[in-house]
Amino acid sequence: MSILVDVAKELLGMFLADARLATATLLLVAIVAALLAGHVEPLLGGAVLLLGCLALLVEATVREARHRSIS
Amino acid sequence: MDAATWGVAAPAIGSAFLASLVEVVEAFTIVLAVGTLRGWRPAALGTLSALAVLGLAVVLLGPLLGRVPIQLLQLGIGVLLLLFGMGWLRKATLRAAGVIALHNEDAIFTSESAQLSKTADQRRASLDWIAGLTAFKAVLLEGLEVAFIVIAVGAGRGLLWPAALGALAACLAVLTVGVAVHKPLAKVPENTLKFGVGVMLSAFGIFWTGEGLGIDWPGHDIALIAFAALFLVVAHATAATLRRVHPRPVTAR
Repeated sequence: MSILVDVAKELLGMFLADARLATATLLLVAIVAALLAGHVEPLLGGAVLLLGCLALLVEATVREARHRSIS
Repeated sequence: MDAATWGVAAPAIGSAFLASLVEVVEAFTIVLAVGTLRGWRPAALGTLSALAVLGLAVVLLGPLLGRVPIQLLQLGIGVLLLLFGMGWLRKATLRAAGVIALHNEDAIFTSESAQLSKTADQRRASLDWIAGLTAFKAVLLEGLEVAFIVIAVGAGRGLLWPAALGALAACLAVLTVGVAVHKPLAKVPENTLKFGVGVMLSAFGIFWTGEGLGIDWPGHDIALIAFAALFLVVAHATAATLRRVHPRPVTAR
């Protein structure tokens, strides 16, 4: 039973190591999907996805570094 | 394979190889600790059982992938790759900046050995069973990550077999070197590999998510290289800035 729990934890941990980063990424994909559904130029949607992910990555990394320097 | 196919096949095979190298080194360290402390029988039994479970899961679930419409598959895998790849890249950047400790296979080997010795004192009778289970868990958990990476980088373009071969090559490389040196592979530049793989997985994530949403990337598969370069530059710049702003040396574990 403990193995099943460990496997489930590992699978969740693979994708949700930082819950805020994961949530923001999912939200960004949803926003891009909505933009494209609203007939925005596909390449503009692509740019929002790419730049948004880069910004989220930087924010998550800096936030964690700040958090660790405070604690 | 033509040049265009190679454009996406080479990063897929390379990513599967490098990511698997990292995971197999981690599993190997624990199996080595089990084998050294409790003998190779429980270590081999645990490892083979885990490989059998993984093989069964792939055989049972693999054919289902063929039934999912390609655009939906690309979107699903793309989003999972973004979550997984950016998570890896975030951690590798923090390690490169010295904010969190580097992964240390020697320390993990020592800690696993100590844990097994402690358990030995408490429950001598069932020790082989516990040792085998430790190897089983390590191989199963790391193997799951390898299986996901192979599916993720291979399934979107029908490159499952080349990606699987990349992963298999990594297993053989670690086993060959591991059997030869017979100690934890501490010299593998794990964070550099994780950094590189995080970059590639994030690039694949953007690519597949975009394709799944109906975006026709300029340059098609070649766009992957541009995405990877952008992630690499941004992650490096973030690590360099953090090193300057938070100069806090950490001890490796």
